[in-house]
Amino acid sequence: MASSAPAPAAERSAPRGVRPGPRVSVSRGLVTITVATVALFVASALFASTSVSQGALSGMLPFAAVLAIAALGQTLVIQQGGIDLSVPGAISLVVVIVTHEPKGDDGKLLGAVLLALGVAVVAGLLNGFLVGRLLLNPIVATLGTNALMFAGVLGISGGSPRRTTDRLASIAGGESLGVPNAVFLALLVLVVTSVVVKLTPAGRRFEAVGANPAAAWAAGLRVRTFKGAGYLGAQLHYWVAGCVLAGIVAQPTAFQGNSYLLPSVAAVVLGGTSLLGGRGNLLATAVAALFLSQLEQFVLALGVSFAVRTLVEAAALAVGVLLYSVDVRSLAGRLVRRRHVPATT
Amino acid sequence: MTETTAVAVRRPTMLLSGVSKSYAGVAALTDVSLEVLPGEVHALLGENGAGKSTLMGVASGTIEPDGGVLTVDGEQHLSLTPAAATRCGIAIVHQHPAVLPDLTVAENLRLALPADVLTSGGRSEVDGMRAVLDDIDLRVHLEERVDHLSVAQKHLLELAKAFAVRPRMLILDEPTAPLGPDSVDLLFDRVRALAETGTAVIYITHRLAEVRMLAQRVTVLRDGRLRGSTLVDDVTDDELLAMIVGRQLDATFPPKPSPDTFGDTVLDVAALSGDGFSDVSLTGRRGEIIGISGVVGNGQSDLLRALAGLGSFDGDVSVSGKRRSQRQLRKVSGYMPADRHHDGLMMTLSVRENAALNGLERMTWGPFLSRSRELELVGRELTELDVRAPSMEAVVAALSGGNQQKVVLARTLLARPAILLADEPTQGVDVGARAEIYRILREVADEGIPVVVASSDAKELEGLCDRVLVMSRGHVVADLTGDEVTEERMIRAAVASTKHSRQTTAVRRDANRPALRRFLAGDYAPVAILALVMVGLGAYVYSQNSLYLSAFNITSIMMLVAALGFIAVGQNVALLTGGIDLSVGPLAGFLVVVASFFVNDGAAVTTMLLGFGLMIGAAVATGLVNGTLIRLGNFTPVAATLTTYIALQGFSFLLRDAPEGVISADVTGFVMRKVGPVPIAFVALVVVVAAMEWALRRSSWGLRIRAVGSHEDSARKLGVGVGRTVVGGYVITSLFTFLGSLVLLAQLGIGDPAQGVSYTLSSITAVVLGGTSLLGGRGTFVGTLLGAGLIVQLLNATTFLGLSQTWQYLFQGGLIVVAAILYSRVRGSHSPA
Repeated sequence: MASSAPAPAAERSAPRGVRPGPRVSVSRGLVTITVATVALFVASALFASTSVSQGALSGMLPFAAVLAIAALGQTLVIQQGGIDLSVPGAISLVVVIVTHEPKGDDGKLLGAVLLALGVAVVAGLLNGFLVGRLLLNPIVATLGTNALMFAGVLGISGGSPRRTTDRLASIAGGESLGVPNAVFLALLVLVVTSVVVKLTPAGRRFEAVGANPAAAWAAGLRVRTFKGAGYLGAQLHYWVAGCVLAGIVAQPTAFQGNSYLLPSVAAVVLGGTSLLGGRGNLLATAVAALFLSQLEQFVLALGVSFAVRTLVEAAALAVGVLLYSVDVRSLAGRLVRRRHVPATT
Repeated sequence: MTETTAVAVRRPTMLLSGVSKSYAGVAALTDVSLEVLPGEVHALLGENGAGKSTLMGVASGTIEPDGGVLTVDGEQHLSLTPAAATRCGIAIVHQHPAVLPDLTVAENLRLALPADVLTSGGRSEVDGMRAVLDDIDLRVHLEERVDHLSVAQKHLLELAKAFAVRPRMLILDEPTAPLGPDSVDLLFDRVRALAETGTAVIYITHRLAEVRMLAQRVTVLRDGRLRGSTLVDDVTDDELLAMIVGRQLDATFPPKPSPDTFGDTVLDVAALSGDGFSDVSLTGRRGEIIGISGVVGNGQSDLLRALAGLGSFDGDVSVSGKRRSQRQLRKVSGYMPADRHHDGLMMTLSVRENAALNGLERMTWGPFLSRSRELELVGRELTELDVRAPSMEAVVAALSGGNQQKVVLARTLLARPAILLADEPTQGVDVGARAEIYRILREVADEGIPVVVASSDAKELEGLCDRVLVMSRGHVVADLTGDEVTEERMIRAAVASTKHSRQTTAVRRDANRPALRRFLAGDYAPVAILALVMVGLGAYVYSQNSLYLSAFNITSIMMLVAALGFIAVGQNVALLTGGIDLSVGPLAGFLVVVASFFVNDGAAVTTMLLGFGLMIGAAVATGLVNGTLIRLGNFTPVAATLTTYIALQGFSFLLRDAPEGVISADVTGFVMRKVGPVPIAFVALVVVVAAMEWALRRSSWGLRIRAVGSHEDSARKLGVGVGRTVVGGYVITSLFTFLGSLVLLAQLGIGDPAQGVSYTLSSITAVVLGGTSLLGGRGTFVGTLLGAGLIVQLLNATTFLGLSQTWQYLFQGGLIVVAAILYSRVRGSHSPA
């Protein structure tokens, strides 16, 4: 485009063009949660050194990894302004499929894992269809699919636990280079998800839809499809999380996924992703999962009860939401006085 | 005119003197004075943004002026509040009606009008409401939901409310915009009749014809200043026009090319009709900039959205010689929306991410985005548009309005569109950047992309466009080219228009729907459906197992329903406000734990009472925390109540780390007491549900809570204390949870910190089954009761039918999904985004 038209001299004084800016930008959520996590480990080392012992860490890290994977899935939904309450059903279902179907036979493990993948895809498509296409409220839709998946859990398992297969236990529950394999798997999931969301055109559009669906619609994007895709992506994460969980727990119960719903939402919020939707902070979510898991170890080692731990989590969540989602200026404005902006005639 | 001499001696109803108001340093009103006399219709004229609405906001108390004095009936005020204005007898009818979509016509009237207005003269309330509607010839059923009314009917309802209070002063803001000719005639009759009774009427309009038909005096504003005030009979249309136009615009425009240089026709629109506009034809040639002029809201934006493929349309649109469907238009059109914040930009994303969004296909390396390609393409575009930003990674919200608009332009141009559609491209843009944007639009046109610009600023279109269409009420009323493209011609065409809105034939489309249809779309349809399902299920189970209806089973079902029912009733209140309360389950468990310290065998009565007092106190505190976090802390309801959810669980375990503290057998016995097979707790629940149902329909609390959930802004305009209502709603939710915990306490018999949590999800399920909308504003308590009943019945039935737990989950999940789909389908339409 030619730029020959005259413009005011003042506008011309500065050089034209916009600098590219830093290659890597760090979100406020990532900085906050990383600092908090480092502080937590320092505090753990100082006040409850048993919680950072080799044994404690290798006990904690696999579960942190599972939480991180599940929370990454939850991030994809929450960044679209939704919420996925089907985490317990989804993880439990994968766990019972990969433990009950092979009946302890390593040879049938792969088939069971693939079957679980198929189920996860169906569940993701169902959630995506209900929320993205039929525009149901995500709380209601995922509440319903959660119950349906638990029907599957009970149908397969009859409610009884079963020993996990040796191969799955050695893959997901084993260690390499002194680090639990689950951690490597979580890192792999983090990298893959980040690459898909941050480095592909579809991922970029996905983030744009989450940041402002109305503007994305006006810019010609297929908003509903992207919203639905978030639920599919989430189920794929729960699939990985369920497989890993089945490997690290020797005899998983039929309700193994129950303890992952609230922490997965808490990790997303602590990672700085707004419950109203917006940019998803994947790395920060993963760090927050580590934070929550270590917090549990720390208060456990301190000898305080489950109660204190829960209260600390609630406080962390409240502070997290306050830090990220409260617009201090609007709060001040509200407290001072309500003013009305005139509509133009 | 003999009347004028009489008018002159009357004391003005309202006198505004020297009123000024500015927003962020920009003056909206400067030293404006206005005198309104009793019995006159006083027209207020002016272009978009001339300050008419601001002035009327001051007069009706919604806007506090920076300076000036308001004299109402001889009494001086520096400013008014909406309540004070109402007391002074000032009524205003807004352009956007302050009606509550989820409430019925009758409920809207009841909420907006004082009771004595409806029952004056000893008539019944219903007769009063009918009279109010008849007065403005609005023929709708009183029990019709306002959501189902047409736009025109909503406006008539709003007018009816204003007329009903017999105001001393009535402000009408463009009341005829959505109305058909019959309604307009009727409205004029009513306005004249009202004025004859001594009411002062301020009539805001853009139409000279209406001024002549209705008003005795006219005042013209321009740029927030008074241009003149005169008797209508003493002034000609041309003189009025001269007062309206002539605004100063400091921007410079690029030179217009000669019409001979325009190339082939790229855009060809023939007989296009859609929502908000009809029968529009236009062509766009290479090099041409076409303006769409008119008063805001006369179909210009709708036309542009249709051309962008964002709205459905009838008629033909061809781009580059091919006829295009709506979906294809989304690909070939570049669209710049008017509302940058809402529709234009992802404010939390960076300049780079926003600008690159529509051109990502060209920035790839294999399946991935190439950062270098992206920086190169985006950087080049930003440089050409001369965007000023700290860096490409800067958050776009931090940029000035002009630079934000250029980012939108960059994004649109990077998609290489075949046509460019710009809606109000310079709104909120400073003067320097305006000139830049004009230059860029002209360059885009020169490159062969026809540009269509909609603007309410006629001066801007005069400077920029080669051709201008003027729209009024969705129709094209003038097509100006060459030398005709002047501000004066555009405004003349707009103000002289006597076109009426198109939907006149559709106005009474569904005014009187059959009772059955109204019922099915109403709040009580889910109740009927649930009752049928429950009876059917009960009959089936009984046919399989006659023990099903044994006294023992009935008692146990009712006991379970009682606990869930109370909590679900509480949840229903939270959902009616448009929120949700996840903390009810843990709260119920926590309250039982609290009770287990006080309500024990052998404890003194005072100790027990103290225990119950503490339970109530804890419930109220939880409700207050939830409500405060949501209203003052800006937490989403999910975030706020999730926080209290976790905290309450923590408190439960803090008090008891294992089940302990046996509940007094006397208390348990009392709660479990029965009349025949029916537990009194269940009877209490039914009574409470009936009372709440009545309160929801009839009491002002019920109207308020549904008003807030239905439409917060309208509720606020009607004087509902939104914050108080919502916080109060959460407190009520917690108090019902307390009632539920009393039943739970008798069932558990011990303080168990792990119990209660599951009530959160079952209460939501019960409420959703009962048909309460998660969007707020509509629902019933009876439905909630039946929803709770169905859940318990279903779980109970599976045991009687010998079905496994699998079926329990399957039924529960299936029911909630089916119910949600069914109810959302019956209630109909949603927007795509």
